[in-house]
Amino acid sequence: MIPIVNKELCVGCGKCVEVCPPQALILIDESVNLREELCEECGFCAPECPVSAIEIHFPLSTDQH
Amino acid sequence: MSSYPHIFSPGQIGSLITKNRIKYAATETNFPYADGFVTDKEVAYMEAQARGGAGIVTTQGAYPDKKGEGKGFKGMMAIYDDRFIPGLARIATVIRQNGALSCLQILHCGREGGVELDYSIMASAVPQKLSYFKAPKEITNEQIQMSIKEHIDAARRAKDAGFDMIEISGIVGYLISTFISRYTNKRNDEYGGDIQNRCRLMTEILQGIKAEIGDTMPVGIRLCGLELLDDRGGNTFEESLETFQLAEEAGADYVSVTIGWHESSTSVITRDVPMGHWLYVAKEVKKVVRIPVMMAFRQFLPHIPEEAIAKGDIDFWEACRPMIADPELPRKIFEGREDEIIPCIACNVCFSRLYYHQPIMCSVRPTVGHEGEPGWGYYGFAKTIKPKKIFIIGGGPAGLQCAAVSAKRGHQVSLFEKNSIIGGSINLASQVDHGAIELLRPINSLQKECHNAGVIIQTDFRITEKHLIDMDYDILVIATGASTKELPFTFSGKSYSPRGIIANRQKPPKRTTIIGGNGVGLGVAVFLLGSGDYDLTIIEESGKLGRDVNPFYLWQYIRLLKDRGVKIFIRSILRGISGNTLHIDSRGRNEDIETDGLIVALQEPHKSWDAFALQYKKELHYIGDAKQPRRLINAIHDGYRLGMVI
Repeated sequence: MIPIVNKELCVGCGKCVEVCPPQALILIDESVNLREELCEECGFCAPECPVSAIEIHFPLSTDQH
Repeated sequence: MSSYPHIFSPGQIGSLITKNRIKYAATETNFPYADGFVTDKEVAYMEAQARGGAGIVTTQGAYPDKKGEGKGFKGMMAIYDDRFIPGLARIATVIRQNGALSCLQILHCGREGGVELDYSIMASAVPQKLSYFKAPKEITNEQIQMSIKEHIDAARRAKDAGFDMIEISGIVGYLISTFISRYTNKRNDEYGGDIQNRCRLMTEILQGIKAEIGDTMPVGIRLCGLELLDDRGGNTFEESLETFQLAEEAGADYVSVTIGWHESSTSVITRDVPMGHWLYVAKEVKKVVRIPVMMAFRQFLPHIPEEAIAKGDIDFWEACRPMIADPELPRKIFEGREDEIIPCIACNVCFSRLYYHQPIMCSVRPTVGHEGEPGWGYYGFAKTIKPKKIFIIGGGPAGLQCAAVSAKRGHQVSLFEKNSIIGGSINLASQVDHGAIELLRPINSLQKECHNAGVIIQTDFRITEKHLIDMDYDILVIATGASTKELPFTFSGKSYSPRGIIANRQKPPKRTTIIGGNGVGLGVAVFLLGSGDYDLTIIEESGKLGRDVNPFYLWQYIRLLKDRGVKIFIRSILRGISGNTLHIDSRGRNEDIETDGLIVALQEPHKSWDAFALQYKKELHYIGDAKQPRRLINAIHDGYRLGMVI
């Protein structure tokens, strides 16, 4: 599941960038950007974020139709 | 007849007969929904496991309590309410329809549970050693009685869902194991004290389940044969052996022997552990019980369990990771097609993903979790309506995987490799340390897959733009691997590349510095330390060494570097070189490092074909390290995904 970055919360600290194995996360103008085509959906980034700006949504059965 | 007569002889569990001695062992996937319901993905995955030919197929552990104290993974299957029965029944049905016996595992994760709570429950509140587990709370006697009832209710639901047998898990830090282990059980009540008392929760659960579901349905249990917690006051081997006897006395119909806790500080399932290494533990268990004994743990090649069953050390071969990598493993072995098995390389990407709340993926099998989606071709691909001539440059994992998939889809594929052997950078990685040679197994199986699909592989062929101008093809795929970065400085000592060190066996001076602390830099360091006495320094720009190395291996490598006195500079950039002196900016401070040898282990994408493609109007794709230097899983997945759509 692809991480979703909340740009309003992101403080641009780069902690997530440093743990991203495929270097899919990059800092641009003090905000983190995800290059989705490189993301391997490992989830390493989310727990690193000090301001909870990265969300990985795990679906519930009730999300479905 | 099969070359493995013991593996393919019928077995017996309780009153049930199995068609062979292979059991797909319980494996969490994170495929179910976050509220515990089974997904189509999980059913399709389990169906693939059943179709592969194993005698017994076990579900992932399902947690038995509504609160979720037993829930250890965000996408863990639940069995705490009758509402879950219909979904579970779908799994039992696909297993039965494919001729295997179905086994449902009930799993309360205990010390590793409470994934969505702020605490976990266990026998005694022993502090956690691993950061991702929740704060420990001691379970009360009342909660113990409740948990026993929840386990029994779960077993009844498994029976109602149509499963053939039930398994309880008491290993690695899960609830039952926290009672069994001296390390986590400091209780003064009847559930603590000697080994009999510490096994009381286990025996009461087993007896309760047997009483509830009757004699016709076997109940097995997974227990730790060796906890590997000697440094923390865990059980002795003798105590562990006794737990199996107590399980048998309590009515268990089989036992599965496991090794280590998740917090053990010893390698258990990584490549440095020789295949079959842990069988001696099962052999000891076999001596003290009369019920069938099973084991998984690094038995990746069939001759290992075949011999162990023949000698009477185990009765059943359990497979987790080898069957994530290839559910068809049993059938391929039976049919003598072992060279077509997609081989697990013990990279443990599957396992580590679980702790980051992500569904499992497999480095060597990109179709994991996509078995039910025809476009992924798990059961074969539909032929393309537009067959093309595809040229793939580079015979590493990305190129080989892309070639195999596109050829299966009906394209005409030629692959060009400049070296005399295929495998690309895996040929280097496979020499880094003991056990790494296993990394060549997927290269061999991909070669076979390419051969079967009709790919033409040409080695010793360094293709150039000149060649291509005269050749007839539609699509160019660049899978050449990464380029090594060149430093804008002149070093007066001796310089080396990772390839020079590993492939060409160049011996750098004793005092050598490695620029770059990702997988490549660490790999070179580990290789050198394994081949001699070196005084190494590693300079890494980011704040983390080995970001692209799986945690299961990284801790071993870091320990080796520290033990051998390697000087590590993180957050450090090379600013210049004068003579033999490296000038680095380390966390904002200037440092000078004297060194006699220099290894540049920095990689960058290989983009040199862009201009050519533009000039000759060719469709061009980059995959693997040529696209972006990353790890093996990305190379294979890049190749597969491109092959699917090209």
